[in-house]
Amino acid sequence: MPILPQIMEAPASPGAFSHHGRGVPRLALRLTPYKSLTPEGFVWFIGITAALISMPLLSILGTSVFWALLPFLLAAIWGIWAALKRSWRDMELYEDVTLWDDLIRIERHDPRKPPRDWEANPYWVRATLHAKGGPVPNYLTLKGGAREVELGAFLTPLERVELKDLLERNLRA
Amino acid sequence: MADATLSGHDSHDRPGFFTRWFMSTNHKDIGILYLFTAGLVGLVSVAFTVYMRMELMEPGVQYMYNAYLGSPDGIAALFERLGEALAAAGGGTNAFAGELSSLQGQIVAAAQTVDGSAVVEVTGGLRADVVAQFETMIASANPAEAQVLLGAMDQLDGDPNGHLWNVLITGHGVLMMFFVVIPALFGGFGNYFVPLMIGAPDMAFPRLNNLSYWLYVAGTCLAFCSVFIDGGAGPGWTFYPPISAQGVETSRAVDFAIFAVHVSGASSILGSINFITTFLNMRAPGMTLHKVPLFAWSVFVTAWLLLLSLPVLAGAITMLLTDRNFGTTFFDPAGGGDPILFQHIFWFFGHPEVYIVILPAFGVISHVVATFSKKPIFGYLPMVYALVAIGGLGFVVWAHHMYTVGLSLTQQAYFMVATMVIAVPTGIKIFSWIATMWMGSISFRTPMMFALGFIFLFTLGGTTGIILSQAGVDRAYHDTYYVVAHFHYVMSLGAVFGIFAAVYYWIGKMSGRQYPEWAGQVHFWVFFIGANLTFFPQHFLGRQGMPRRYIDYNEAFALWNYVSSIGAFISFASFIFFIGVVFYTLRFGQRVTQPAYWGEHAETLEWTLPNPPPEHTFEELPTREMWDKQPGHH
Repeated sequence: MPILPQIMEAPASPGAFSHHGRGVPRLALRLTPYKSLTPEGFVWFIGITAALISMPLLSILGTSVFWALLPFLLAAIWGIWAALKRSWRDMELYEDVTLWDDLIRIERHDPRKPPRDWEANPYWVRATLHAKGGPVPNYLTLKGGAREVELGAFLTPLERVELKDLLERNLRA
Repeated sequence: MADATLSGHDSHDRPGFFTRWFMSTNHKDIGILYLFTAGLVGLVSVAFTVYMRMELMEPGVQYMYNAYLGSPDGIAALFERLGEALAAAGGGTNAFAGELSSLQGQIVAAAQTVDGSAVVEVTGGLRADVVAQFETMIASANPAEAQVLLGAMDQLDGDPNGHLWNVLITGHGVLMMFFVVIPALFGGFGNYFVPLMIGAPDMAFPRLNNLSYWLYVAGTCLAFCSVFIDGGAGPGWTFYPPISAQGVETSRAVDFAIFAVHVSGASSILGSINFITTFLNMRAPGMTLHKVPLFAWSVFVTAWLLLLSLPVLAGAITMLLTDRNFGTTFFDPAGGGDPILFQHIFWFFGHPEVYIVILPAFGVISHVVATFSKKPIFGYLPMVYALVAIGGLGFVVWAHHMYTVGLSLTQQAYFMVATMVIAVPTGIKIFSWIATMWMGSISFRTPMMFALGFIFLFTLGGTTGIILSQAGVDRAYHDTYYVVAHFHYVMSLGAVFGIFAAVYYWIGKMSGRQYPEWAGQVHFWVFFIGANLTFFPQHFLGRQGMPRRYIDYNEAFALWNYVSSIGAFISFASFIFFIGVVFYTLRFGQRVTQPAYWGEHAETLEWTLPNPPPEHTFEELPTREMWDKQPGHH
């Protein structure tokens, strides 16, 4: 689920949710892009790859050729391992939406970049869905703070519709 | 928090020509680059075969020889000795004195002055004349005279250049295996259509993709060097030691060939890592592994095979390189090495390699057959698992290439049975294609013709494969033209028909212009007839016992070699015609605006896009309704 509701109960220690002593937020969401490879899938893929690639080693056990071949096989395993991990890390971006009665705060965390944030008073915030004309269909933008920002551009178009409804319900509550 | 960018993504500057084609990170542009480069290399590689088939057209050596070089005095002396010998053989009189003196005159007349002295080079038309006249004389000579005449003719017609022949077969093999078929199907169509089919915005690592392409180009240059530098490399694409020690003291050609394979291997490994990551981690939401289109599946399995087998090849040829240049003895019995070991690890790579060549074609054919039968593909899931099974089995059958090296009986029995088992998943695919067509409303457009040709030819080649898989039968067929016919039926005719099917199927999508249907049909029929005429007679030659890899052959093999050469020329003509069709289509073809121009049964995601697709696709993730046309069907 790429739109994840965060825990709504008051945390034991004052953390991000009790920003500036505001207490429990009305709405807390984490938006993440979809990744189709599961951790189990990773284990299976690397396991089967390692098993199959060791097959030729059986026919050259005990020869010098074994040791000359081994580094190439290990390099291949390492290569695909690192690539899959890297692909996960590239998708590690997420956006946190936290909404209190008098503040809406959005934080965007990109891999290898400092986080960016945006704050506004919920009363003035307008969420707009641009069916066409944006970089993606159903492009969702928020107005009402210092500048206009996008939200959930990495979600699917349908998820952005859902996200907008959720936001508007809570902004007007 | 990211600022809103409402201006839209199409407003950013279009890249210039250099940026677009030389620094491209766009999977579609890189795919197109791969296709054109592979086409160009393919043309060169096919030109080699035309030269080879010209040479093989008739017994004897007509083109690939080192010509006789002599001075007019030398010629005179040669003819004088010949006259005396003929007089002795003919009982005191030289019966051919008249013919020989006119022949001598003809040869000496061709003398040219080089560096101040007259030199006669018996070459080209003069050589053909000389040979023809000697043959006429031999036909009417008694045995003793014929002996003498043959000896003189052998001297005057120069020496067969067997090394040139070896260089050409090596060049053809290396180029076709590493630089034509894989780049076209895997690098070209794979790059272009796999991200589209799984709904990914691009490949997982676009800059790595660019690196793969340029490594491929660099490898191609090295491969051409191996043909043209230092006399050329002639160990065959298999590089068996000790043949690969050719010219170790004097020539760097084999080293160039090894480097070419290294670099192309690096390119393919990077490409396959890219494809695997894209396929595993960038599928659209809801597109589970059991819903991915078959072409994307076939490219994934291919990428996996490349990842598993190419490191083995890289290791093997690196050892070969150090054996050649740094005095190691991995494969040299003189230092305790074992040349057979090289064959084992080479074929551990080499057998998966032939599946690497054919699997993406399987994927293409599945889509084409479904589209033009106007039915969904029959047995999607068995088709997927057949692909995986063919890939998996491909790793445990390698020694069927080496029945004659002295394997134990048990080993031979195992490899024979394991090889035959591959017929099961392959059969699943063939029968599923037939079942897809069954009761379908088939339209015989060019892609479908090539798909039908593929199924017919691949089945034929597969059947001879079953015959060759039997260790006992292989004793007779090993290294004969039967093997040549077999692997050209599965690869040349199989994979290449797959490539042509893909070109005609997708050229409208990629260029926005459609090929003229009549031209596609002409290309298909000429190529189909030419290719069969080339390779079917080679079965007969193999059964007669004609060995592979020789520049010359016995007169008994003349008929079918002649037919085979005619077929090769027809095939080459059809290839030239195809190049014309492609460029005509790109410039003057009819514009196609309908996204799914082959009808509603072309239902993968690329058919939801305009022709040609925009520079950036699926930055929006596609929705399930766009690709899941039969919910609950699989």
